[in-house]
Amino acid sequence: MKELLFAALLGLGGGGVYAMLGTGIVTAYKGSGVINFAHGAFAMYAAFVYDELMTTGRLALPWVDILPGDVNLPVFITIQEGGTSELLAVVLALLMAAAIGLLAHLLVFRPLRNAPALGKVIGSVGLMLYLQAVALLNYGPAGRSPEGFVPKEPIFNFLGLGENMPRLNLYLAGCAVIMGVAVWALLRFSRFGLATRAADENEKGASLLGYSPQRLAGLNWVLSALLAGIVGVLFVGSGSLDTTGYTQLIIPALGAALLGGLTSIPLATIGGLALGMFQAGMVELTERSWWPTWLPPAGVRELVPLVVIVGYLYLRGNRLPVRGTVVQRRLPRAPEPRHVLIGAAIPAALAIVLSLIFTSDWEVALTTSILASLLMLSWIVITGYLGQISLVQVSLAGLAAFVAAKLAANLDKVSEFDLLSVSGPNLPDPLAALFGVLAAVGLGLIIGLPAVRIRGVQLAVVTAAAAGPIGLLLLKNEFLFGEAAVSNYPVPRPFWFGTFVGATDPDTASTDYWRFTIFAVIVTVVVALGVAGLRRGATGRRFLAVRANERAAAAAGINVARTKLLGFAIAAAIAGLAGVVQSYRLGSIQPENYGLFASLAAFAFVYLGGITSLYGSVVGGLLVAGGIVAQFIDLHAGGGFEQYVPMIGAIGLILTAILNPEGIALANAELGKGLWRKIRGQRAAPIAEPVPAVGPAAAGGGH
Amino acid sequence: MALLETADLTVTFGGLRANDSVRIVVEPGSFVGLIGPNGAGKTTFIDAITGYVPSTGAVLFDGEEISRLPVHQRASKGLVRTFQSLELFEDLTVEDNLLVPAQPTRWYTPLLDALHLHRTTAETRDRIDWALDTVGLPHYRDRLPTDLPHGQRKLIGVARALTARPKLVLLDEPAAGLDTAESRVLGVHLRGLLEEGISVFMIDHDMGLVLSVCDYIYVLDFGRIIAEGTPTQIRQDPEVILAYLGESAGEAQAVAADAAGVVEP
Repeated sequence: MKELLFAALLGLGGGGVYAMLGTGIVTAYKGSGVINFAHGAFAMYAAFVYDELMTTGRLALPWVDILPGDVNLPVFITIQEGGTSELLAVVLALLMAAAIGLLAHLLVFRPLRNAPALGKVIGSVGLMLYLQAVALLNYGPAGRSPEGFVPKEPIFNFLGLGENMPRLNLYLAGCAVIMGVAVWALLRFSRFGLATRAADENEKGASLLGYSPQRLAGLNWVLSALLAGIVGVLFVGSGSLDTTGYTQLIIPALGAALLGGLTSIPLATIGGLALGMFQAGMVELTERSWWPTWLPPAGVRELVPLVVIVGYLYLRGNRLPVRGTVVQRRLPRAPEPRHVLIGAAIPAALAIVLSLIFTSDWEVALTTSILASLLMLSWIVITGYLGQISLVQVSLAGLAAFVAAKLAANLDKVSEFDLLSVSGPNLPDPLAALFGVLAAVGLGLIIGLPAVRIRGVQLAVVTAAAAGPIGLLLLKNEFLFGEAAVSNYPVPRPFWFGTFVGATDPDTASTDYWRFTIFAVIVTVVVALGVAGLRRGATGRRFLAVRANERAAAAAGINVARTKLLGFAIAAAIAGLAGVVQSYRLGSIQPENYGLFASLAAFAFVYLGGITSLYGSVVGGLLVAGGIVAQFIDLHAGGGFEQYVPMIGAIGLILTAILNPEGIALANAELGKGLWRKIRGQRAAPIAEPVPAVGPAAAGGGH
Repeated sequence: MALLETADLTVTFGGLRANDSVRIVVEPGSFVGLIGPNGAGKTTFIDAITGYVPSTGAVLFDGEEISRLPVHQRASKGLVRTFQSLELFEDLTVEDNLLVPAQPTRWYTPLLDALHLHRTTAETRDRIDWALDTVGLPHYRDRLPTDLPHGQRKLIGVARALTARPKLVLLDEPAAGLDTAESRVLGVHLRGLLEEGISVFMIDHDMGLVLSVCDYIYVLDFGRIIAEGTPTQIRQDPEVILAYLGESAGEAQAVAADAAGVVEP
């Protein structure tokens, strides 16, 4: 019992971080209505600024010099050779955080102020990916272990519990309480706070009273980013600093903010602290002898925020939106695919011809694009057609790949280069793949259950929170997959009906793996044709009906809950298939590659391509890091371009959200149609051009 | 046996009784109206019997107690509603909007769809033609709802309810947004539904329309039924005139006078 109590008190440290980040998220949400996925990234960047100043005395601005040749964009400013003083580093790190907040407002969220909720989420995800990519370029991938300024000496025999309490944990908890009280008081008693609350209730009212809602939003963004900066600088002494760790804190931080209903700072603070204590207590329990070995402690740690978030949102949610709920603005139109066979045959033929011509790098780029397109089809179904944001598709792909590899495994088949061999039932590969896909479907259905009552951006938070536990509880689970699961999992050489369909054939060691390319093309085309059929049939209509209006869909006799689950199942099956096929190319798989950030990156590119149209997956697949477009630019930019792809993708994502929410594929289709009409000299046919309706309709419908 | 019967139907929002022990009966083949001032609880009543808000009391439809069923099952049993606000599927064409309830699906429909084998039957297409004819918009199949003015969008909503094979349609202010002439034409079309074996329960603010097309009318005020009867009885009911006088004295008189001029069904 003593140990449990001490563990919970120790958890006040993590809880303090969640509480402070939650406070910042609530501040930004009250000021601008954006649930900021980039909040953890704000803290991350500030922490890097602090550490860089302390160690080298350089200040790195939040961008990268991509200009060619001698034209240079200033990135690094040397403040003091060999490192600055602690105070200066803290001040500059906080100023940097505030500046990032201001830039985020001016360049991302102000332009998105009238965008649909999904557009704002995309904007903040783009910002997060951008900061992460820039930090990676400016500070390098190596993890750092900065000193921090909190004294290292622990408090011995804390409260007589017989354990030593690190001071940092108490500092963090104390700062969380101080920050919570200070921000609460600021919003409660100052004129700025009054105006913010007025604008939060009714933006028009606030502007009638003479406040500019956008200036208020800007101030709140600066405040929110400053709070993130404080967390970054405080937390810097906790151990390792890298680009993902801090950014991932967004999940429990969002949990804290949601516990505060996204509006209450005191509740978010208390919720964050409680979440941290609960989490630490649970992890302590995993060390007991009776704890089942199939539940690894690291996974339990990640599972706690998920359970808290789902439980809280599920209990508050309704099966159907209540009357008068402002329906979140729709996604872009999802056009019915036409000329399906030709539309599938041309890219497929092109890919196959190219695969016969290409060798080495180009072949890899081609298959990367095809596999990404296949995975993206799952988002076309779940988000494009059904309107549900899922950020676990890559995790589902990972589960399918692991299950298929395990079931097909046979010690004899594993290549001699693998360090660890895996025993398994040696099922034929197609059958193993089928079971892998079924496992993904099962998990997809479980992930889909909360969607019955949780909608929109909150569902995105839930699925994002699920990615961590899937990786750590299921994939990195020695009980399920054997000890190889924690490092490098070998994929048996795949044969489908007697034909080798893997990438690198150990017999020839050739990289010219056209057979794999053709296999991947066939799978992708079959799946794409299936998705086109769904869209054209009753199923797609029902999906779009649910996407457009759940209340009306139920009135039309649609079982909304079952329809959502069907969508999650179909999308999970596609993602699972993509995972299995991709594993055939990789030869060995690692749980780390199937996390939240992999999903976010793929989601970013399919949104960029056009998430409501089949061609969106083709365009998105071409654009991904390591894909055809990147390879092409890399060739002409003289190499080294590859490293910039994530950053450029992030910028593209933000720009797409602002300028062109329908994505590249649809925009080009419209452009192409317009050109074609001009060439033919026809008058534009009046098809599907949304004309603003007259009179009261404009208020009721909108689009 | 009545087609729809509610007994002691009560809906409370916090401390407010939005519907208080409401009892109505709709006989098969009849056209029943529900009128009342703004905020009387008319839409809440439709929400309650179709399952959108929790209620106490009994809802009997076609001889079956349905008050515990979810929304979509009540709709599948033939109790189909329309909405007061515009709740069309805005991403779908008018035809697709109507196909959603019209096209029957089975558990294996997604498989057939994926294989491009699922076809719309001629019966389904005829049904859509008939529904669009009934609301007087036969040439709107390929339009998007956002292209249409408010009144026509509401009519598409009515047509969508008709394609769901209803036994009873619950119309929530179908004529809002139509002018007097259009709403009279709509009234004639809606009367025609009775010959198709579809009974009608209608809320509307257009007293002229309600009094001219309904066989029987209930009057709701502050969540309670304050009067019921044939249009003639309602027109002369002092309580009804008082309830409407509270709103607008002139309107109630004018409505009664106007209704008297309309041809009785």
